[in-house]
Amino acid sequence: MTIVLLLIPLSMVLVACAVWAFFWGVNHAQFDDLDTPALIPLSDDNAVSQCDEESAK
Amino acid sequence: MYVHRHSDGAAEVSVLVEGLRCTACSWLIEHAMASLTGVREVGVNVVGKRVRVVWEPQRVALSAILGAVARLGYQPHPLERTALDDVTTREQRDALKRLGVAGMGMMQAMMFAIVLYAGALEGIDNPTRDFFRWIGLIVTIPVVFYAALPFFAGARREWHARRPGMDTPIALALALVFLASVIETIRGGAQVYFDSASMFVFLLLGGRYLEMRARHRAANVVDALARLQPAIAQRRDASGAIENVGVHELRAGDRVVVSDGATVPADGSLISPACRVDESLLSGESKPVLRRRGERLIAGSIVTSGPAELNVERLGTETVLSAIVRLAGQAQQQRPRWATYGERAAGYFVIALLCAAAATALGWSYVDASRAFSATLAVLVVACPCAFALSVPAALARALAVLARRGVLVLKANAIENLARVDHFAFDKTGTLTSRAVELVAVTPMATHSAADCLALAAALETGNTHPLAQALRAAAGTSLPADIVDLHSVAGAGIEGKINGKRYRLGSASFALDGRASSDSDDIVLADASGMLASFVFREQVRAEAASALAALRMQGVEVEILSGDSVCRVAQVAKQLGVETVRARVSPAHKLDRLRQLRARGKFVGVVGDGINDAPALAGADLAVALGSGADLAQSNADIVLANDRLDALVDARVIATRTLRIMRQNIVWALLYNAATIPLAATGWIPPWLAAIGMSLSSLAVVLNSLRINISAANRNLTPRPHVDNALAAVPA
Repeated sequence: MTIVLLLIPLSMVLVACAVWAFFWGVNHAQFDDLDTPALIPLSDDNAVSQCDEESAK
Repeated sequence: MYVHRHSDGAAEVSVLVEGLRCTACSWLIEHAMASLTGVREVGVNVVGKRVRVVWEPQRVALSAILGAVARLGYQPHPLERTALDDVTTREQRDALKRLGVAGMGMMQAMMFAIVLYAGALEGIDNPTRDFFRWIGLIVTIPVVFYAALPFFAGARREWHARRPGMDTPIALALALVFLASVIETIRGGAQVYFDSASMFVFLLLGGRYLEMRARHRAANVVDALARLQPAIAQRRDASGAIENVGVHELRAGDRVVVSDGATVPADGSLISPACRVDESLLSGESKPVLRRRGERLIAGSIVTSGPAELNVERLGTETVLSAIVRLAGQAQQQRPRWATYGERAAGYFVIALLCAAAATALGWSYVDASRAFSATLAVLVVACPCAFALSVPAALARALAVLARRGVLVLKANAIENLARVDHFAFDKTGTLTSRAVELVAVTPMATHSAADCLALAAALETGNTHPLAQALRAAAGTSLPADIVDLHSVAGAGIEGKINGKRYRLGSASFALDGRASSDSDDIVLADASGMLASFVFREQVRAEAASALAALRMQGVEVEILSGDSVCRVAQVAKQLGVETVRARVSPAHKLDRLRQLRARGKFVGVVGDGINDAPALAGADLAVALGSGADLAQSNADIVLANDRLDALVDARVIATRTLRIMRQNIVWALLYNAATIPLAATGWIPPWLAAIGMSLSSLAVVLNSLRINISAANRNLTPRPHVDNALAAVPA
């Protein structure tokens, strides 16, 4: 049973990491718009291709 | 910041206030501001999160007024597009973070609680039990002290306003459960409730988050003035060159050029000879109107045959558009504030609960002092108004989500209840019952040409024109066009002229086409050549395909329907006949619309208004329930309780079914929560329910409420939307 003394603090560290990652995501606009990004691949506007060009450079 | 100066020296400004979200807040702000000397008038708009102040600058500084608001814990911002977006984004992110922390904390707390429950059944040694309790305490601390902060802040505000609302019982129950658990943990007592506390927070935050998202999505549209008025205008300078300037840089007396299809930036008089403007947003008039040199153009209207040049007369807050906006704002503030039934009930509920807990403690301390604490705790936990607190938000959140998926956005909290109560709907015509497009209903040819020939000629003349009439003509004519079209030119506000196969034709109003040889007042469009009239065309507004079935369905639900329009009598009557509506009022000004609504309400009707234009905005604000169609002006949406974002009227029928069902489910939830508490409180008080069982019972009752709320979608959703029939009426109506 002594293993729980290691595992429980470990799990809490993991949760802390998860909370940190979640906060990072929220602060970096990952959750601001959950609806439209799914439609981006369907539109043939230039925004995507511009990105491609920039990454290709 | 736009400071509007009154003639008597007073100033008026609207500010955005962060953290403003309930009637208690608005009461608090109103009192804090109104108590300052020199402040004349305070109007708080909770949904728009804005406060309108009228003050006397010589007696009190604006900074002092805003400082008073800031001291209450609300952050005032200048009312700008970016500030509004920032506040919304920050609020949404903040809520999401709290929800995330509550969710993760809840999972952890429950996991450790399972060990404790298993231990209670099968035996656990005290050091291990205490170890898991301390772990549970640690994971619950962020939930209570970070995630649940809005509840405590809300309870504090309600306390300041002396108006117990929903946050007070929540904060109290949470504090008691958490404190009791901490004491039990330290003391090594019978039971801890960290899992219940964190689940309580998570479920409540989840409901609020969904509600807020739905509200935000639609309230984005609120800043209508800034959106309707263009930000940039084209000014002609002294040398005659055109430069782009910000609208705020314009001064009275400037000359501004508005190109075809652009929005007029300011009120002014026309300098160029003639143009047509679409003022349907302001007047409800469905056809673009002709303006001649020297006549007024109104900011916010759209030039359909330009370019137009105008002399700026009035700007910003002095335009007709702003006046209409202010009128709408005043009507909005006249709305009676009413505390919801749930908020009041929860206030009584929590007082009754505290009395019951105190009585239990008192009773047991006489009978058996050692059991007093656990019995009191059992009462507090078992009667914790979780299920009760959830009963309304859970059903509402579910209803909002279901409605949003159907393209119905709910902007105000009372809207769902009001929608179910509405027994009289007044519809605007233009843009609401009819679509923007017109259709050709008849071609009356003179003897020399066939109808099809005339139609082909007319369509050829309209080649490349984007006017609704031109589009209707082309749609009716099909594709076969005469090849040789030359010398096409349009005369603004009158018609079009051109040569086809060497012959000159004119198409337009009768006086233009016949060059003054005939006087005709009708709205018909006439095709003529040098020798005289060839044919006349009759147009009709196209009634939305789904309008008839939607209105019929509403009548089936026992709702009275009427048309209330600013348009001409004959056109309104035509639409009414097509839709089978008997009560019709045409040529109604915005002020008269308000009168009509007041009259209906005096007769005991609960009135809903469906509209889209700005001229509807005052009427929308004065109705018991305001519904706006999504394709309409953004401004109308800001005053609306409900927005039909998919631009279909039949969504309203579905929404009403769902609203009725939501109310029923909400009532079931409340009855269930009350029954549960009524049954369990006596048992807990008499010591029959140990606190751990009380915690499970509380969780299950909450779960029952949430699951019941999920039913809102099941049968209400099964009604299929009526398919959009695709019939080309224009073609069918043209005689061969």
